[in-house]
Amino acid sequence: MSNFTILLSLQKIAGLLSLAGALIVVAVVVFLLISATKEEDKTTAKEKVYKLRGRYLWGIIVMAIVLLFISFKSLPYSHSKEKAAEEVTVVGYQWLWKMDKGVYNAKLEDFGGKNEIELPVNKSIKFIVTSTDVNHNFAIYNSAGVLVTQTQAMPQHKNILQYTFKEKGEYQILCLEYCGTAHDFMVGIIHIN
Amino acid sequence: MIQIDSTDIKKQKKLALTWAITFLILFPVLITLGLLMRLRQGEVTEAAPSEFFSYMTLHGLGMAGVLFSFAFAALWYLNSTRYVKLNVKFGWFLYIIIAIGVVGLLIGTLIGKFGPGWYMLYPLPFKGTFWPLWATKLSVISLIILGVGWLVGILHILYALAKEYGGITNLLGWQYLKKDNSNIREIPSMVLITTISLIPGVFALIIGAAMLIMYLLQSFEPSLAFDPLMMKNMVMFFGHTLVNITMYCAVGWVYALLPEFTHREWKVNKAVVYSWNATFFFILFAYLHHLYMDFVQPTSLQYLGQIISYSSAIPATGITMFGVIAQVYHAKMKWSIIPLMFLFGMAGWAIGGFAAVVDSTIALNSSLHNTLWVPAHFHTYMLMGVVLFILGFLYYLFSGNNKEEKDSFGNAGFWIFVLGSYGFLLMFYLGGLNSVPRRYSNYSGIEIDHVRETGVHLAQCAALFVGVLLIGLILMYLSLICRLVQQKATNKKND
Repeated sequence: MSNFTILLSLQKIAGLLSLAGALIVVAVVVFLLISATKEEDKTTAKEKVYKLRGRYLWGIIVMAIVLLFISFKSLPYSHSKEKAAEEVTVVGYQWLWKMDKGVYNAKLEDFGGKNEIELPVNKSIKFIVTSTDVNHNFAIYNSAGVLVTQTQAMPQHKNILQYTFKEKGEYQILCLEYCGTAHDFMVGIIHIN
Repeated sequence: MIQIDSTDIKKQKKLALTWAITFLILFPVLITLGLLMRLRQGEVTEAAPSEFFSYMTLHGLGMAGVLFSFAFAALWYLNSTRYVKLNVKFGWFLYIIIAIGVVGLLIGTLIGKFGPGWYMLYPLPFKGTFWPLWATKLSVISLIILGVGWLVGILHILYALAKEYGGITNLLGWQYLKKDNSNIREIPSMVLITTISLIPGVFALIIGAAMLIMYLLQSFEPSLAFDPLMMKNMVMFFGHTLVNITMYCAVGWVYALLPEFTHREWKVNKAVVYSWNATFFFILFAYLHHLYMDFVQPTSLQYLGQIISYSSAIPATGITMFGVIAQVYHAKMKWSIIPLMFLFGMAGWAIGGFAAVVDSTIALNSSLHNTLWVPAHFHTYMLMGVVLFILGFLYYLFSGNNKEEKDSFGNAGFWIFVLGSYGFLLMFYLGGLNSVPRRYSNYSGIEIDHVRETGVHLAQCAALFVGVLLIGLILMYLSLICRLVQQKATNKKND
């Protein structure tokens, strides 16, 4: 899957899959709109449909198992990743982000990070993400405006997000969990050098 | 087979018509709130964030509540006029209880500006709020009233059905799984689906009530604090299950009504029982996919969320949707507006469901979670699924012997409504694919030009499409009114 995503962003994969699904549904609806006006003995008609259903059920079960197997290889959870080269603590506040290098275990109210940080390219970065007040979502966008990864920032809990920036440049941080009045102005920047 | 008295049927119909008219009034009002939100995001109008977010909260809570209430009312009507005696006075009592809850919620959101979003993620209603504490208290109490109303209503239906059909295991269709099932108590398919949909509703409402009581306690005693992860599990279980069973309740009446147009029976058999019992299990655990981005949630539950989400597509498509195909294929039927709405409702459920399964893939969720992809898929199966099923039912309820008659006005409205709705939905999907965040009152704070500009342009187009779907809806309303007047006139003549 990871090689495939070099050619196609995850958003495009999702879009293509959903488009294919929608087109199949449209084709079935058009077929039914036309075929329903003809008459066939109901037992024969049902037999035909149920024969097709048997094949469909086997097909969808096999497909679901294969897709589960493939997609479980690309989970975002930290335990499946390599050792981090850098650790960064991220704290969400209503309504700003603060980031600083290192692991911070003291009182969050005293955390002195900033909403901008510089990090190295091609190194695995471990973000330790939490919040002081309500739920936020730490979402990283690349310079082309593509959402590349995210995790929730939840009070009383620490979410560990490990990510390797493959390209230099400016990455924007947005909040993707509604957190109150200025939710849509809660931004930050990661400079990758 | 139980005989329902014609006087009881009339009384139940009066109740159903009251529900129907309430739905027909509230539905466009709630759409208008959505339109105002898209206009604000499209920078066509101006609104303070507090106004936007209180509209957003009312739109979400209102739509989820109105659609579930009406789905419940439709099931009540169909069960009480065909399969079981339900207390009509109790039905009116529930209507009043739910109306009180709705009024409380309207005051809380429109006057009090209560605005934490429809799933009001803990502890948001208590921190950094732009609304007063009384609005939180009133809204939470109103939601508890609504929940209690739904819960006792569900228990009444389940109790009456269990009494009529010989116990809860019969309602679940387990008698069909016996080796010798030649002499069993048969159940109508709608009774099976009513049971499968409403029992998870009982669990969801109990958990929801417990959660809301915790909110209420904190609103009176601010020093209290609960674990946000546990609260998120509770709210997602409650919210997801309620929305999920709204769809299944609607599917229940499609099983009952579509055969009247195809003239083919749609009976319960082993495959249907296995399928719906599996669905019962899936309904209870599918909510886990809402917590993929909470990495502290045990990873085993994340795996379970994806497995269950994928699995739920198997009975839905393999049994129910193939069931529709078996009903319709070469049935020599007329495509009058009611079966047309049921067929398109199934299509909307399938299209939205497919996009939901895509989003329920953890690897893809990292790039789609809380972007406009989320409202894209749930609006698809609510607007082009549940709403079409409801409109189909309303046409059925408002019609006399003219159910299969040609209705040019209604048909024109239907096609315009479908066109406008899919246009509106496409803007959400494109927004998701372009990483545009959901739940932004405006996009001016985003410093990424592509995301900001895309968000604004798509919102403008979406608002135009809402205008189109509203035109379709108005035409259908006029056609519905004509049918109701015609039905009243016929009834008067017969009396």
